[in-house]
Amino acid sequence: MNAPDSFTQAGRYGSGHTVRRIEDPALVQGQGRYTDDVMPAGQLFLRFVRSSFAHGRIHSIHTAQAQAMPGVVAVYTGADLAAAGVKPLAPAGGFKQPDGSAMNPPPKHALAVGTVRHVGECVAAVVAESREAARAAADAVLVDIEPLPAVADAVAALAAGAPLVWEGAPGNVLAEMQHGDAAATIAAFARAQHRISLPIVNQRLAPSPIEPRAVLAYIDEGRLTVRLSSQMPTGVRGGLVHCLSGVSSARSNDNVRVLVGDVGGGFGMKTALYPEDVVTAYAALHLQRPVKWQAERVEEFLTAVHGRDLLSRAEMALDAHGKVLALRIRSWANVGALPTGAGVAIQLLIGPWVTTSIYDIETIHLQISAVLTHTAATGAYRGAGRPEAIYTLERLFDAAARELQMDAAEIRRRNMIRPDQLPYKNPMGQTYDSGNFEQLLDQGLVLADWQGFAARRADSAQRGLLRGRGIATFLEWTGGNALEENVQVRITADGHIELTSATMAMGQGIATSYAQLAVDVFGVPIERIRILQGDTDRANGFGSAASRSLFTGGAAALVASQRAVEAGKPLAAGALEAGVADIEYAAGRYSVAGTDLGIGLFELAQRQPGGVILADGGAKASAPTWPNGCHICEVEIDPATGRTQVVAYASVNDIGRVISPGIVRGQVEGGAVQGIGQALCENVVYDAEGQLLSASFMDYALPNVDGFLGFKTAFDERMPCLTNSLGAKGVGELGTIGATPAVVNAVVDALVNAQKSAPKSVQMDSQTGAGQGRSAECLQMPLTAEAVWRALRGTYPPAVLPG
Amino acid sequence: MSTTYVNGRSIPAATQPNTLLVHWLRDALGLTGTHLGCDTAQCGACTVLLDGLAVKSCSVLAVQASGRHVTTVEGLARPDGTLHPVQDAFIACHGLQCGFCTPGMLMSTVALLAQNPRPSEADVVQALEGNLCRCTGYVNIVAAVHQAAATLRQEAATLQQESTTLSQETA
Repeated sequence: MNAPDSFTQAGRYGSGHTVRRIEDPALVQGQGRYTDDVMPAGQLFLRFVRSSFAHGRIHSIHTAQAQAMPGVVAVYTGADLAAAGVKPLAPAGGFKQPDGSAMNPPPKHALAVGTVRHVGECVAAVVAESREAARAAADAVLVDIEPLPAVADAVAALAAGAPLVWEGAPGNVLAEMQHGDAAATIAAFARAQHRISLPIVNQRLAPSPIEPRAVLAYIDEGRLTVRLSSQMPTGVRGGLVHCLSGVSSARSNDNVRVLVGDVGGGFGMKTALYPEDVVTAYAALHLQRPVKWQAERVEEFLTAVHGRDLLSRAEMALDAHGKVLALRIRSWANVGALPTGAGVAIQLLIGPWVTTSIYDIETIHLQISAVLTHTAATGAYRGAGRPEAIYTLERLFDAAARELQMDAAEIRRRNMIRPDQLPYKNPMGQTYDSGNFEQLLDQGLVLADWQGFAARRADSAQRGLLRGRGIATFLEWTGGNALEENVQVRITADGHIELTSATMAMGQGIATSYAQLAVDVFGVPIERIRILQGDTDRANGFGSAASRSLFTGGAAALVASQRAVEAGKPLAAGALEAGVADIEYAAGRYSVAGTDLGIGLFELAQRQPGGVILADGGAKASAPTWPNGCHICEVEIDPATGRTQVVAYASVNDIGRVISPGIVRGQVEGGAVQGIGQALCENVVYDAEGQLLSASFMDYALPNVDGFLGFKTAFDERMPCLTNSLGAKGVGELGTIGATPAVVNAVVDALVNAQKSAPKSVQMDSQTGAGQGRSAECLQMPLTAEAVWRALRGTYPPAVLPG
Repeated sequence: MSTTYVNGRSIPAATQPNTLLVHWLRDALGLTGTHLGCDTAQCGACTVLLDGLAVKSCSVLAVQASGRHVTTVEGLARPDGTLHPVQDAFIACHGLQCGFCTPGMLMSTVALLAQNPRPSEADVVQALEGNLCRCTGYVNIVAAVHQAAATLRQEAATLQQESTTLSQETA
């Protein structure tokens, strides 16, 4: 019974094949289960009152009028939460101030106490019977805040006499770190034939998953249950327990359950615990009723973590042949007012890990300051530190190529780590296990038809357009240094194999990839496999971030599946009255070797107590993975408007072994569009007083469907990862990291060479000496039409760096 | 009492004057496939068909749907559960990742293909200009629209052929 008849077809759904994702049938029919889709009876609606000032002293909060309004159940302030024993969120830590003492961030209260430090900070919360009642009552909460002077960027925050964000960070420097060898770097620069120096701005970005954050908290069998849109359910549970352990009935992990259903995009932004999560959970505990908070988009811009925001003075020393002798980079990271631990670590440590990328550069000196400002916190956003580092280095290489009058690909080739140098330890102490960077470069040049560029440039010029070409060859670090996962397998009598994992789906198709790995082992059709995630009662772990899930959780899924097959063998031996050694398994069936005696996997499960066969298994990678790529982009610029269009994009990627070809292509190309977004259009803008000017999709330009659609994407599987059992390397962030420098280098290339290829109108500008040549290396993102149009006329925004 | 026709069913029309169509569909009718992503009519996750035209249900009051036909993503599949060709094409082309924008993308596509069975790439881009996706980079979405268009054209041709044959036989 239950013997699926199409087992012979199962091989088509295993790893290495493009399959229809198991997630999709529900999602295309509106049957997804995102947090806000769950509406328990009697659900209350929570709405926040937020600071409208970037910096200010709270004199009073009058809640009586709101409290008396129809439908209002509760109004909370920071004082109420403190009185109830709610603790501030766990502080960021682990780094040092410039004087060597431990960093000392401001307390992050779930609702502000005494002082507000950025626009949008939660000041009070209203809980009501309806969305409309909550909105009306929130408007009736009277908050008296005395505005104080604010600083909205690192330059202003570091200026002499700047207002202090927090007394624990003198001069607004929260933490500082140096890497490398300062003296050796000075010596290398002294003997260098060529020195390049560029100001580099990695502007602030809004991650912007299309599903805004949402939290539903309720009491289930006396226990706090929190359903939310998160990449890290276990981490959220720990954070909630930290904040609420003083409140009865949320004292320990056992008293709190976190559930996650479908997640409408994460991109790193949904890794942290947020103040809103804590307040919603507290309200449910206090009121003993279901409480829902659904973020509006403006709240996402105001208080969800932002990404990037790093200013750098980047310098490269080279010998006469284009060999890099040393890098010296001084950076200032604006980590916001109430920083996250990730936001600080990303800039002080994670970005630096890849600062020398795929190049054999031995000598570096990096100095990075984490600077407090009156803005929202930064945190993880797709790439998290690696985009900043790779962008900086790839801009330097293009400038160096011009300085030495070398081909942009050739100068990179001369500096690449050779295969015989692997495993290679970079000056940050990070060891790359596998890769063949020159082989990727060669394939990239062919895929992009590097040699044919001059003809295409001439063709564009014929049409009155400036064409540019940019390249980025690079690697990145993945895994989050959380390299172990476990998976539980449950084979049920109703014909399903359930795999439970603590990693978290958020659109990346991880369930399908796990299912394909399970199909490899079980040899059953993929429809038989179910992947369960997002329940801290079932599985606990780091969650999904840093492109770690496949090579940790996938490896565990494989091992656990193999264990399950083995676990079934003695059971089958019993059922078939044969010796265990004679039991073989294939395609959903155990059989006795050399006979036609056998029993189906699911029939065997049915004969077990409880009707299931259980097994679990784990896997641990021994190191991070180092996916890498060669991305080449061509752009066309209309000199009349400055509008830049990506017109060609070729990439060759080494992500080790490919499990799901369709999915990884989607990751690289979708990721590249996010990287193009940083290059061309996205920008979080605060004014000098710390007011957020880009607080909706009307002002924050997300890439639209009218962008580039013609990606050429290839994978080279010849260099499997050597430090995990799957041989896979993380793929989630690669496209984003490669696209930004490839696109910007292409635009700079177009502007630098405008004299040679430009139509008449621009040539006239160039005769004044403006807008052309290496002055274009001053370009800073985003390269909006206006920025490019001004650059063509010789006007560049001053890249202001601190000091 | 006035009626709104939702996915072919007659429903007593909404009466609350300040309820948005998207909230009425989600909260009152439990049709949670229609998503709310931006509140300012940029992202298009809330797109539904109102008398066949794609509208953003975050920008329409529920009472405005009185007497009219609303189609949501839940109304696309055939009653026997067979997916609509647009739904099938999005799966086949990997035109969705997290799936949150997908219902809106599907509804905008259905509206486009009803008007224009053979859209050019520029037509597709124009039709989806009001729908944001953060995951896919749009590449596979546009491919899915073209694949769905081809399937629908083929279905239409088959239908026409059948009816021609039928009328010839009758004659």
